[in-house]
Amino acid sequence: MINDSGLIWAVVAITFAAMMAGRFLVRRFAVRLRPIRAYEALPVLAADAVESARRVHVSLGDSALGDASTVTALVSAEIAYRMSERLAISHQLPLLTLTSPMTLPLAQDTLRRAYLYRRTMGYYRSSAAAWYPAGLAFAAGAASLSADLDADSNILLGRFGANLALLGESALRHSQAVIAHSDLLEGQAVAFVQAREVLLGEELYAGPAYLNGTALERGSVLAQDVLRWLVILGIIAAALQTI
Amino acid sequence: MSAFSFPLVGEGRRDGGPSGLWGRFVNNHRLLHFLSSLTVISVGVAMLVGLSSEWGTPPADFAALMLHLVTVIAAVAVFVGVFNLLAVHLGRLARSERGWPYSLLALLAAAGVIALRILDRAEVWSGDLQGEQMSARAFEAVQVSLESALAGLLVFFLVYAAYRLMRRQVTVWSVLFTLAVLVALVGWIPLEETEVLADAREWLVRVPVSAGARGILIGVGLGTVAAGVRVLTGQDRSIRG
Repeated sequence: MINDSGLIWAVVAITFAAMMAGRFLVRRFAVRLRPIRAYEALPVLAADAVESARRVHVSLGDSALGDASTVTALVSAEIAYRMSERLAISHQLPLLTLTSPMTLPLAQDTLRRAYLYRRTMGYYRSSAAAWYPAGLAFAAGAASLSADLDADSNILLGRFGANLALLGESALRHSQAVIAHSDLLEGQAVAFVQAREVLLGEELYAGPAYLNGTALERGSVLAQDVLRWLVILGIIAAALQTI
Repeated sequence: MSAFSFPLVGEGRRDGGPSGLWGRFVNNHRLLHFLSSLTVISVGVAMLVGLSSEWGTPPADFAALMLHLVTVIAAVAVFVGVFNLLAVHLGRLARSERGWPYSLLALLAAAGVIALRILDRAEVWSGDLQGEQMSARAFEAVQVSLESALAGLLVFFLVYAAYRLMRRQVTVWSVLFTLAVLVALVGWIPLEETEVLADAREWLVRVPVSAGARGILIGVGLGTVAAGVRVLTGQDRSIRG
């Protein structure tokens, strides 16, 4: 019988092997990922914001480095980077809000890297990443800041609870587009009803692959699919055993 | 240069990056990429080995030490967060941006709570207030009650959002969602006539909602594993300089 640590290493090994195989396939063949409307909308929102000289509000919510949502925070920050890179040609910085002070340096660095890459460091200000205490205080603070700055759109990715409803409601009142995701069920439900485009569950983690992704990032989407089918087969096998 | 490749060695100085000896080091992107990737891969693998090792072994001790360091850094990071909050609102105030009175209010509230906490520690309260923690009282009176009031409004936001969803676009999924909301809300009414709906609500929660929730959580877990392995192999760009 395999123990917990054995299982962890097995999962990591299978994922790594599937990712490398996916990378090979992506490089060798023209692999097309299924369209996800939220990722199709993101570049359009960035272009709209640049053209109208308005800001984009990107929120990482409660996702935090150092706890269970570390990977969610990293992926959300990577998507924020790809958006910021498009927005960095404008002097209107994106607004990045979050509740974890541990993630604040990551958020600031995400913006800095985007402006450094575009060679527009003169526009960059570290205060474009704003921290608020967790809970409804965050939702109220981030929503009012986004409204005051007349943001063009709100991209809410990461970990949100039911407080996402406040952010979404404020955005809709100010005619701002909303793209939302949460790795918590409450937040995911709210995102489904409020967002113009919603990202469901694992779709967030495929984000870097969809936004000018590298072969490895696209390969990791294939790895996700392999893992999903392994889980499905495992569930079916377990169900058959109980019959 | 492709859209996402990095500038070559030394190009960063023209971007307005740091100059001098440190600047030369920082702008040497390839060296920084290598060092940061090496750090992430080695610490990541060591943590993975440590967390899957027996308690008391050197790898497990190393993992415990790293987690302890994270806890300390997290405590310090709270100060960074508070300074950031003050800096953001001071900046808005200085530039007289739209909504600056709210920033002023936030700054005054922050200063007030900090002053109360200092007075609490100095035990200056006398009479009926002797031994009281006024900062905790202020927190209870303002923050908790405001959060409770906002939480009470959430259900109305959600029902209104469901209505707006139907107005925006009628799809199979939006109809299904609205029906589920109606069954769940009406099912809570303690009337004999709505007992069927109460049963339907219970079944809804037990079977499809539970299955859907598990599906989403498994998906999140798989995504986390795939992205985590990407980070462990040093391929995540956020770790690069």
